[in-house]
Amino acid sequence: MEAANRADDFIPAGLASLGVEADEIELAVIGAAHAMFWPAILDLFALDVDGVVPEPRPDLSQAPPR
Amino acid sequence: MTLLDRSLRDQAAAIAAGEADAGELLDATLERIGERNPELNAVVETFPERSREMLAAAPQGPLHGVPVVIKDEWPLPWRAQRFGAAEMLAPSAPGESGPYRALRDAGATIVGIGNMHELGSGSTGNVSFYGPAHNPWDLERCPGGSSSGPAAAVAARLVAGAVGADGVGSIRYPAAYCGLTGLKPTFGRSAMDGHHMAAYSTTIVSGPLCLDAADCRLLGSVLCGEELAAGEAGGVRIGVIRDPVSEDVEPAVREACAQAIETLREATGGEIVEIELADLEASALAAVLIANTEGMNGLTPERLNHLDPELSPLGRGLLKYRMLLPAAASTKAAQVRALMRQRVAAVFERVDVIAWPTVPAVAPPLEAPLVELPSGTLTADLANVRSGALANLTGIPAISVPVGLSDGLPIGLQLQAAWGRDELLLDAAEALERGNDRQAVEALPPPAQAADAAGA
Repeated sequence: MEAANRADDFIPAGLASLGVEADEIELAVIGAAHAMFWPAILDLFALDVDGVVPEPRPDLSQAPPR
Repeated sequence: MTLLDRSLRDQAAAIAAGEADAGELLDATLERIGERNPELNAVVETFPERSREMLAAAPQGPLHGVPVVIKDEWPLPWRAQRFGAAEMLAPSAPGESGPYRALRDAGATIVGIGNMHELGSGSTGNVSFYGPAHNPWDLERCPGGSSSGPAAAVAARLVAGAVGADGVGSIRYPAAYCGLTGLKPTFGRSAMDGHHMAAYSTTIVSGPLCLDAADCRLLGSVLCGEELAAGEAGGVRIGVIRDPVSEDVEPAVREACAQAIETLREATGGEIVEIELADLEASALAAVLIANTEGMNGLTPERLNHLDPELSPLGRGLLKYRMLLPAAASTKAAQVRALMRQRVAAVFERVDVIAWPTVPAVAPPLEAPLVELPSGTLTADLANVRSGALANLTGIPAISVPVGLSDGLPIGLQLQAAWGRDELLLDAAEALERGNDRQAVEALPPPAQAADAAGA
């Protein structure tokens, strides 16, 4: 919740720094998306995947190499 | 039952045997689209002259003279795709896409363009440049997305088969909501060229939406450019997961899927194996992040500040939000992808298929696509992605099979298999259909029944 509340600053500041304009409705959509995704993104950051090496060019048509 | 109401393979067989005239079938299909489509908005464009030209030049392929619908995600020689949106981020132009060529070379007749969720960014189909598509089972309900129109068109028997695309569940969700069978082939196996994201998407595939598995096999074989040979699914080891997220499903959906899994076990003389697959929620987010990041090609602040005003507020907001996604999350998503691919590969050493509900609840209302789950109220998108994303993240094939109704709305069971075992999924789906005496695949949505009763 705390992270979502920080969206009040993060979203307008982030968009402004990129030079992206958004009207009130768009800001409401972005806020809703942020409230939905951000906690999950924080959970993702907290996930322990140390030592897992991303496949550089994964061949998704096949099982990964062992 | 008219030929229009029969399966894709029956239509092809009748034409091949000279028992039906392909020109008459095309005319009847266009007439039915004219009758039934206004309340469905499943087909957003027809082009009778182009269809007739296609038919006149059609080779004697496996779909000779059979009408099909193709999602608004693929260019045709006479029409650029719109991706369900007032504005696409990527350039689009008319052309011969892979699915178009596959259909043409198989002798099929493309009769119309299937509606889709705007920019492919939703699992419900309630947002589109063309207006929402409607679910034939209940016109006030979502048909699913993003392949909303193809699914609604087949469910309403406008055509017997349609081509969709699946980037994060976009064939399987509408198949489940509309009571169809929908196959997401192994990544890279089906025709993708000509898609505006073909060069850089690692999640999207083309695939069939049909009345049953045998029709999916036929249309899927065409899209894959190789026969997805039929076999006998015997001794199928069915992996099931019991954890809080996987069981966060409407009771009626859970019951129907559990019954279907048992039916599949009995039908194949197989066994049910409890498996563990940790971090499914993280894998769902990883797939969404990867798909959204890959979809950012062409996104610039300048472009975002001059979006077509006809793009929905939802679409505009979500596009702008993509700019705020942290790059580090994408790196983490790539790690999760590698991890889940290893885990899934290990699971498929113990089981042949993984089974769970395609979507955790039946089709939600168009007006407010929310679902009530044991854990509470969720947006349908958030609920659905937990079931659908794993196959796109890892590349494995998956199929949604209709397994019953709840309050008159279809329920779908998803089966997933190891890379390249698309044929096994089709075999298992056919075994399940037989085990259910084909009741689920032959159920008709009420509007079609009403139209039939009226002699339409």
